[in-house]
Amino acid sequence: MAENNIECNSVVDGNVEEVPNKKIIKFNPPLYKQRYQFVKKLVEQHQPKKVADLGCGDVCLLMILKYQKCIEELVGVDINEERLKWNGFRLSPCMGDHLDPRELDLIITLYHGSVLEKDCRLLGFDLVACIELIEHFDSEDLAKFPEVVFGYMSPAMIVISTPNSDFNSLFPSAVFRDSDHKFEWSRMQFQTWALDVANHYSYSVEFTGVGEPPAGAEDVGCCTQIGVFRKIAKATESAVLEHHGEHVYEVIYTTSYPSLQQMDYCRRVVTYLVYREVNRMKRRYQVSLRQHELEPESADTGNPTRKFISDPPVPVLTEADKAMEMISQPFCIGDKFYVPLERIIAYPRLGHICGNVEKLREFLADVVELNCDGSAVKVDLHDCGDY
Amino acid sequence: MSGRARARARGMALSPSAAEVGRVQASPLPLSVALSDSEASSSSDHVGTSRISQKCEGGLSSGDAGCTFKERVGKIRREMMDLSVCTREKLAHVRDCKRGSSGIPVKLVTNLFNLDLPQDWQLYQYHVTYSPDIESRRLRIALLYSHMELSNKAKAFDGVILFLSQKLDEKVMELSSETRRGETVKMTITLTRELPASSPVCMQVFSIIFKKILKKLSMYQIGRNFYKPSEPVEIPQHKLSLWPGFAISVSHFESRLLFGADVSYKILRNETVLEFMTDLCHKTGMSCFTQTCEKQLIGLIVITRYNNKTYRIDDIDWSVKPTHTFQKRDGTEITYVDYYKQQYDITLSDLNQPVLVSLLKSKRNDDAEVRMAHLIPELCFLTGLPGEARSDFRLMKAVAEETRLSPLGRQQRLARLADDIQRNKDARFELETWGLHFGCQMSLTGRVVPSENIIIQDHICQPVSAADWSKDMRTCKILSAQSLDKWLVICSNRAERVTESFLSCLRRVGRPIGFNVNHPKIIKVQENPAAFLHAIQKYVDPEVQLVMCILPSNQNSYYDSIKKYLISDCPVPSQCVLAQTLNKQGMLMSIATKIALQMTCKLGGELWAVEIPLKSLMVVGIDVCKDAFNQGMVVVGFVASINPRITRWFSRCMLQRTTADVADCLKVFMTGALNRWYTHNQGLPGRIIVYRDGVGDGQLRTLIEYEVPQLLSSVTEASSNTSPKLSVIVVRKKCMPRFLMETGRTLQNPPLGTIVDSGATRPEWYDFYLISRVACRGTLNPTYYNVIYDDNGLKPDHMQRLTFKLCHLYYNWPGLISVPAPCQYAHKLTFLVAQSTHKEPSLELANSLFYL
Repeated sequence: MAENNIECNSVVDGNVEEVPNKKIIKFNPPLYKQRYQFVKKLVEQHQPKKVADLGCGDVCLLMILKYQKCIEELVGVDINEERLKWNGFRLSPCMGDHLDPRELDLIITLYHGSVLEKDCRLLGFDLVACIELIEHFDSEDLAKFPEVVFGYMSPAMIVISTPNSDFNSLFPSAVFRDSDHKFEWSRMQFQTWALDVANHYSYSVEFTGVGEPPAGAEDVGCCTQIGVFRKIAKATESAVLEHHGEHVYEVIYTTSYPSLQQMDYCRRVVTYLVYREVNRMKRRYQVSLRQHELEPESADTGNPTRKFISDPPVPVLTEADKAMEMISQPFCIGDKFYVPLERIIAYPRLGHICGNVEKLREFLADVVELNCDGSAVKVDLHDCGDY
Repeated sequence: MSGRARARARGMALSPSAAEVGRVQASPLPLSVALSDSEASSSSDHVGTSRISQKCEGGLSSGDAGCTFKERVGKIRREMMDLSVCTREKLAHVRDCKRGSSGIPVKLVTNLFNLDLPQDWQLYQYHVTYSPDIESRRLRIALLYSHMELSNKAKAFDGVILFLSQKLDEKVMELSSETRRGETVKMTITLTRELPASSPVCMQVFSIIFKKILKKLSMYQIGRNFYKPSEPVEIPQHKLSLWPGFAISVSHFESRLLFGADVSYKILRNETVLEFMTDLCHKTGMSCFTQTCEKQLIGLIVITRYNNKTYRIDDIDWSVKPTHTFQKRDGTEITYVDYYKQQYDITLSDLNQPVLVSLLKSKRNDDAEVRMAHLIPELCFLTGLPGEARSDFRLMKAVAEETRLSPLGRQQRLARLADDIQRNKDARFELETWGLHFGCQMSLTGRVVPSENIIIQDHICQPVSAADWSKDMRTCKILSAQSLDKWLVICSNRAERVTESFLSCLRRVGRPIGFNVNHPKIIKVQENPAAFLHAIQKYVDPEVQLVMCILPSNQNSYYDSIKKYLISDCPVPSQCVLAQTLNKQGMLMSIATKIALQMTCKLGGELWAVEIPLKSLMVVGIDVCKDAFNQGMVVVGFVASINPRITRWFSRCMLQRTTADVADCLKVFMTGALNRWYTHNQGLPGRIIVYRDGVGDGQLRTLIEYEVPQLLSSVTEASSNTSPKLSVIVVRKKCMPRFLMETGRTLQNPPLGTIVDSGATRPEWYDFYLISRVACRGTLNPTYYNVIYDDNGLKPDHMQRLTFKLCHLYYNWPGLISVPAPCQYAHKLTFLVAQSTHKEPSLELANSLFYL
């Protein structure tokens, strides 16, 4: 895992394993990573589209989540503006995202603001993560917190993690794990609070944790306790979201990823895929011509040791066959090589992106030369163009 | 490629800019875009010390100038080193004014923008220590940045050195921050330097600020330049994407701080390395697949799918598969497949692919600790073009067409960049906090010097276009030519017919220009390199003046073996012509003319001259280039004129075992040239002007401390009383400034002979820019001249005019070229040796331009 994660973690939260003592408890992978992994697994399981990380700090969790294909909107909120400012660019699309765009759109936004304030841009989320957040609230803030997150934002799922003070007995010092912690709850305290909140806002809650206790001390529970809240669906719930609310948060950073949902990127990808497939078929056709000349000596040109996805060789067509085969097989007239769009769309990735031949034709219009009735891609047979 | 008759013939037939497509690499004419990608990324900050570099994913990438400060400073330092070499102060005659005055003034727009700073602006450099000491750079930065004291100040911090534009209240400041763990860390910030805006350190900080700004404009750093992947130019039939971008620099020119930007394109291939391999495998078959694959891929730069890093492919490990495991930083083992799935949600499709190996140089500490990164071909995109693609004329043409920008187009790009910088909120904020003001584009006044007359045998010709006077002198007698009496022609049986018709054509075009060509002895051989060489060995005797080979193919083996033998082992001038060139029916006359002129030169003839007002002037061109095959060898070429008219040349070349492109053998060469001059002119030249090409960044000091003394000692030893006066001028074809001429509403390239010696020049140097070529399409690059040593004390006007005159004297092109002829000769010579012969040419050929 990245070095910076380890480092930023040591800023973000009190990593217990570093407390010098005869009995040092080490988690492997480190506890903060286990927490992030937990959220990532939730995402993999439930495939949310809109995910927010409240108290995103150094954006480490967002950095992990941005690779998740299902997510279309990712939001981070934090009170520390400076930190968001100089971490924001870590979330920008990388060069590879332009070359090989995502399937779905992804917009990442970082807001500066307090989790205790309501901002309508945080409505309608599928998952809201509050990782090691609530223990930084004083009692007044803690009281406001459920109203904002559960009551106002009211996402489909909320995950809240906080230190388990039962576990603290295994640590040498009797203080909180972080000097900014206002409290550290036992399992009982947390569950009482959580159940209370869940009941009040019609959520179900499941308790779990990360950071397994060492052998012999199982009764203290996990080092970090986690509550996963899920909204109890109401049949009458209005699908209309109040988006006309206030914008209190300040946008510090926002970025939009290239994706196949965007016409220009989609067209580009389709064009390249088509060229690649056509060139592949053309080359195979040329090989088959050459083999024809060399027969019967020609040995198998396939590669026995390596498996690459490949199509069956293109047969050499006679004039008579042509009409029949034309529907789906590449063919050759003069020095032009034709590949029917039907054939191209059979290639799974293209089929997936385009759906049907009409759409494919639309994509290729003005970019790739088609034959007169627009049913096949036309290229020069002998133009190497392929280094 | 450019050493071949074919390319030359093509160059003859087409305009120079059209010809440049086919010979990008070796072109003597600068291309308008940075097509080549030989440099690996500087942006890739391989911070982790792990064995597998992907682990530092996302690491200290964009947006945080402070983090990568050290590496960048290290990068820029080389250019900055040159700037600290103040040569002008030693040159008394230009100390006050280095500007010329002749010629017609012309108003030019530059690609430089004013950067204004408050009068009393200073940069404050601080040293930061931590107690207890913290090793992690990120944590050091985080702790400092989170401090309220600094939070709203403009700052650049690399973990140790902090730059601020505002002075802190105290010289030594103690801050303490608490980590979230509750540990108190004391930071001591000590002021170490106060730097004026003109300091080289400030230039580096400014560069960092602009890098940060361009990143805010959604540009990505690859190598040293910045590119915008969101607006690509697509060439789908060749699987290419071109990313538009800019090369930028911030520097002090004369009295101003200027931001320079030049349009650049990055070539990316829209295929992964795995796709490339698959295609290659299908093409070559399995037998030689691994070999070919390694040959084609090693050395190329790839971009990974999942982070913003670039890597150079140093090797391919065929034994490692994605299903194998590697050790992560925390010591656990994981397979590549699982790693990419977990880390990036990427599923690898091909579990048989090998891994690419990239060696990571540790940038932080100078110990040569080499780490390796394993990369999965499926997740890597290729950048740049492989050698094979470069010789694909069609492809290169497509690329050139997309990347060539008209002067107006270029200006629009620049204007848009300036606009983006000024409009972007973050960018503006960044500039403002530093106290910088991004100003307007700089205009300046250049001068167009009068065109030159070309002197041919019986008259003086005023060419219609100084760019190409081949038409003007088609039937004119050249200055002098030796008649060709005894010579050999070696051709294959197939080429016999074309050879015959070519020879008769050669005789026909030779007569009017004064070059008598007698019947050669024609030897027909089989079509293989050995047969050609064998025939040469058999038939060449001391009487033979010249050997002509009609080559059946463009294969290097023909050309290289013939040239090697006839240049080093058995020195005879030789002329290689591709048979296919002679098949171009309509062009045979112009091809023959071109070849006849070349042959004349190879026999020691002189084609034309220009008026040289200085009597007894020797001009010298020096070029240095790397040997193509032997790493660690450089080829030094030295070409000196040996008559006052500057039409005859003495050419020497040596291979030298060193990696610093600094010539070692100049004293020997200079003494040889002076001896040669003495025997021809019964005396020594009064003045010597040396044009030195092939100088890399940061080599200026070495040049002054090492090369100039060599030349000087040779010159002073040559005579006991008055020794010749010496000047040394560094010639650079690549430079940041560009000049465009406003004409009405549009922009044009400046006319031939435009000189710029103000505004875009450097106060510490005696330097000027000269435009000495034309471009039909695209934008011109000026050539930059820096006079680093000057005993001659010529007026700047005369130095500039003389340089311009020398650009007329390259006999391989009847027109102006971008550098003085001796430089181009030296380049041509070193190129031949570095690419083909790899052996020093025989001294017997030194009196002729045998390498044309």
